[in-house]
Amino acid sequence: MYDITRVNELLRQIREGAALSQREFASAAGTSQSAVANLEQGLANPTVETLARLLRAAGYAMVVDAIPLPGTDRVVERYKVDVDRTLIRENLKKSVNERVRSLAEWQAAGAELERAARTAKRRK
Amino acid sequence: MTQLERLLTALGKANVEFIIVGGVAARAHGSSRLTDDLDVVYARSPGNLARLVDALASLRPYLRGAPAGLPFEWSVTTIRAGLNFTLTTTAGAIDLLGEITGGGTYDDLASHTLPVTLFGREVLLLDLPALIRVKRAAGRPKDLEVIAELEVIEEESRRHQ
Repeated sequence: MYDITRVNELLRQIREGAALSQREFASAAGTSQSAVANLEQGLANPTVETLARLLRAAGYAMVVDAIPLPGTDRVVERYKVDVDRTLIRENLKKSVNERVRSLAEWQAAGAELERAARTAKRRK
Repeated sequence: MTQLERLLTALGKANVEFIIVGGVAARAHGSSRLTDDLDVVYARSPGNLARLVDALASLRPYLRGAPAGLPFEWSVTTIRAGLNFTLTTTAGAIDLLGEITGGGTYDDLASHTLPVTLFGREVLLLDLPALIRVKRAAGRPKDLEVIAELEVIEEESRRHQ
């Protein structure tokens, strides 16, 4: 697994591992020796297509994967998509006391709804 | 006076040392979720146990979900013999927690609190990073949505700083 910011080292390592000179490597990948030299020195960045071609030339397939950063929980990140941020932003405008008071009022309203439902059921 | 105000007032008047955690704490931080009970971590010093007993005595606390008629004595002896109590009272449901997973005791949590004024009284609220840690440590599937919302609150709070 390689950090994409160090692709120049990756190219040099796989080329050397395949026992290829820069010229041979470039030829197999359909590019120039100077281009390979620049890439290995970190003087240029390859496109994804160029990188794939170079890797193939050295006998590798390229796999691109998105790995969650340490501490990131993918399941929680998925749940975050469904959080209504407009409600959160409205709540953050209120004081702590206002937020808790509204909870108390909602609890009281909930209790009243339950009473009304029980009464309605008894009448049936 | 709402039930939540009655509970907090009862605890505050008796000078009980407690930290608000759980759903009320989440709401205080900006959550849009509702909760039916008050969760608090209480200090287990002998003096505080006595104050806790005095604070809630008039609200007739009883074990929530226990069969009616099961003997339950609301006293320092009872609290000392246990740790966490899920209670029903005439002012609603309250969970008294001597210790919580991922957070510890009152003394462990004390440095992770915010003093806030609720219903005219200053109380301690578990701070948002600690609340998230505690929810993660609980490891319950039902808390995943809560954790997500709390982390969004953190993000939105940082954005508006």
